[in-house]
Amino acid sequence: MSTLTHPPATEASTTTTPPALAPQPVQLTTAREINPRVLAAWSRFKYAGLRFADVTGLSFLPPILRLLDGEETAKQWREIVRTLFVPAAAFALFLFAWTVVAPHHRTKSGVVPTPSAVWDAAQSIWAFHEREGKKESAYLMSGDERSTWLTAARERLTKLEPYEQAASRAVAEATVANQQSVESKIAPLVAQRKELEESIASAQQARLAAMETQQAALPSASVETKEAFLAAVRAHQEATEAERLELQQLDAKIQTARDRVDARLNGAKRTQTAIAEERQYLATLVDQLDGANQESKLDREISQLRNNQRDFLASAGSDILPAAMRVVQSERRINAVRESNYAKPWTLPMQIARSVACVFFGFAIGSLIAIPVGVLCGLSPTFMSAMTPFIALFKPVSPIVWLPIALIIVGGFIPDPNNNGMLSFLEALPLIGWMKINPAFIASAVTVALCSLWATLVNTALGVASVDKDYLNVARVLQLNFRDRLFKIIIPSALPLIFTGLRISLGVGWMVLIAGELLSSSEGIGKFVWDQFNNGASDSFAKMIVVVFIVGVIGLILDRLMVICQRLVSFDNSGLQV
Amino acid sequence: MSSRDQRYVELFQVGKTYPNAVGDPFTVVEEFDLIMRRGDVVSLIGHSGCGKSTVLSMVAGLNETSRGSIAIGGREISGPGPDRAVVFQAPCLMPWLTAYQNVRLGVDRVYPHATSAERHEVCEYYLAAVGLGDCLYRLPSELSGGMQQRVGIARAIALKPRLLLLDEPFGRLDSITRMELQDVILRTLDRESITTLLVTHDVDEALYMSDRVCMMTSGPRARIGQLLELPFCKPRQREAVLEHPLYYDLRACLVSFLEEQDTQRGRLQEVEFVSRIQQEVETLVENEVVRSPSPQVANSTTELAVVN
Ligand SMILES: Nc1ncnc2c1ncn2[C@@H]1O[C@H](COP(=O)(O)OP(=O)(O)O)[C@@H](O)[C@H]1O
Ligand SMILES: [Mg+2]
Repeated sequence: MSTLTHPPATEASTTTTPPALAPQPVQLTTAREINPRVLAAWSRFKYAGLRFADVTGLSFLPPILRLLDGEETAKQWREIVRTLFVPAAAFALFLFAWTVVAPHHRTKSGVVPTPSAVWDAAQSIWAFHEREGKKESAYLMSGDERSTWLTAARERLTKLEPYEQAASRAVAEATVANQQSVESKIAPLVAQRKELEESIASAQQARLAAMETQQAALPSASVETKEAFLAAVRAHQEATEAERLELQQLDAKIQTARDRVDARLNGAKRTQTAIAEERQYLATLVDQLDGANQESKLDREISQLRNNQRDFLASAGSDILPAAMRVVQSERRINAVRESNYAKPWTLPMQIARSVACVFFGFAIGSLIAIPVGVLCGLSPTFMSAMTPFIALFKPVSPIVWLPIALIIVGGFIPDPNNNGMLSFLEALPLIGWMKINPAFIASAVTVALCSLWATLVNTALGVASVDKDYLNVARVLQLNFRDRLFKIIIPSALPLIFTGLRISLGVGWMVLIAGELLSSSEGIGKFVWDQFNNGASDSFAKMIVVVFIVGVIGLILDRLMVICQRLVSFDNSGLQV
Repeated sequence: MSSRDQRYVELFQVGKTYPNAVGDPFTVVEEFDLIMRRGDVVSLIGHSGCGKSTVLSMVAGLNETSRGSIAIGGREISGPGPDRAVVFQAPCLMPWLTAYQNVRLGVDRVYPHATSAERHEVCEYYLAAVGLGDCLYRLPSELSGGMQQRVGIARAIALKPRLLLLDEPFGRLDSITRMELQDVILRTLDRESITTLLVTHDVDEALYMSDRVCMMTSGPRARIGQLLELPFCKPRQREAVLEHPLYYDLRACLVSFLEEQDTQRGRLQEVEFVSRIQQEVETLVENEVVRSPSPQVANSTTELAVVN
């Protein structure tokens, strides 16, 4: 990056003062000597950067590069402001509005989390993921590494103890302080309530007494006076109702004041929770390193096997068979332990990876169907007519309908998921084995395919049908056979539109997938959201909002990837070989 | 020349009518008769929109005739054939293929039994012949318009056609590039002696490039107005043609025909004028008049004003 600090010669020359009367070219060219190799490297870097920005559509990059090069400074600044600062400012404004508005909306799952609470939730999601990874490796650890980890974990546990005590103390103190401040805030309200209650009671009594005396004095025959009395009773009833409402409002006010938890108590509680979580994690880690560790389990089983073997050799008569059985069972247990693994729960990063794999799987299925069918549709109007009813009928069907159907159909192909050749083959594969591909995964992928293939199909058909007539004339003059015409003329010419379709498909697929996972309980982002919705922990809401951003960012990345592919194949855009 | 060579390309009473959804069918050309000898270079000249491209694409087999028939080498055609190659007005290169791959596309079909190395040589040879020896692997978007048209020419010639059809191949190029490419094509035609039909609306181009000029009347219902045999010797030299004593008369003849078409005046005087010039040409050719040195070297290519 040191090249960036060197402005190129052209700029250097313009910064020197212009020569007075007699021009002095020597001074102009050697004002600030710059190594030509550095200059060449910088301009290579600059052009590579510009091409990269062009392909990826990162529109804020070119003005920055040009600014560093000293090209039309004012114009570049304007561009930077427009492409970088304005979006950043808009986002900052959004965060600010969110921070201000969120705490005012109370829901059953607590207040709407602020950005900082969401950030904390994101960190806790990440911490959970890392800790589970460590536990898993701890289970498989052996030898010296295991013992060093074990001592480290134990040390940390002992170190944690004073912190934990301090944290509980802090919470206790903060609770008391909070209580006091709440009490002091409530006291006048309570007094006010008492006053109000008394005044209401006396007012009611007064009204009742008045009515009773009126009743006694009421002449029995007069209709008018009786109606006046009825009106008085009605007014009394209404007044009583209003008084009760007033009282209720005051009660609600007192309750909110009582529920108030001040920042100090909140902070203390958060620290306490964090420490408790770490302690629990360390306890599990120690267990995984010690008693539950694979190596130590194996040691136990092997010594058991030795004993059993000795017994077997020493046995005689009717003891031989049971002893032999025990030996065999020991051997089987050892094998089981060898193959066993830490029962790692799903963490969000794993679920994200599984979701992305699922969307690409579904997208691949959809594209493998849509592109050939679309090409046929584009080539043959007859075939297109044959396909039209299917396209028109199935395109608007929602994923919510496809998913149960896909689940049933996939379930029909895989009646026993625990004992299926294909699934166990997939599970044995190195990179995707951990994803535990199951019928729900396949059904989600099929749903993605069914919902997303239409855009590709229609665009491919359009692209193939609208190949430039000139190209087809050239193909006829060159007497190309069908294969060459298809693969050298028609498909390349339709590629930009095919990729437009693929891009739309991938976007649709990503949206459909989250809903599909939520419904099918296939492990993934959708499932994470559903679990959070159902579990109702204090930070569940915040975690769901974290997912909103993750889904958005991944969707954005997928879209950008497709844009890059699209631009790399679009021939009317030269110089795209980045 | 055998009689088949005398009538290598034969257009007999060819007509083309396009159906019109909202009116009478639109007849572009009618009763179009043309005979080309083997090795002939014939220019088809006429106003824009008179149906030159229509005739050419019917000969190429890209467009069906409505009436009449077209025979090449004694056989009536039905669709494009391996004996014909077309250079289009727009270069019509596949933008996703390099110059080399564009030429290779046709070469692979024409030489199905050749090895890959031989086909590669053929492509290189023809691209070098049009002066693109060192731009083989560039995409069309990295080539100038003239270079793209060169690739189009190389692609057509590499097919080893017996009939080359050129549809205003230089129409969109600047005049310097146009002169270069005219020479490129003439050299190729001299070397390979391919029968050629050249569509143009440029009088000087028609005079310089062809053995005969076929003038079309303005459409609709265009047909051949006049045929003009040119006296210039082969191989063509630009100066020799320009300095030829009859050059300006011939040119005036073509221009006046086209102007007549413009104004749609009586055709009688014009026919007389053409036949008088033609007679002069014939007498000159018979007497083997040498070209007289002429002081003025006009070389600007006069384009006709586009009517309509
Ligand atoms: N497919 C078509 N349908 C209807 N009319 C056409 C079609 N193609 C060409 N024409 C008409 O035929 C006439 C001749 O066209 P064209 O042969 O391209 O002229 P030129 O090449 O001499 O300029 C034009 O008036 C044009 O409008
Ligand atoms: Mg034309």
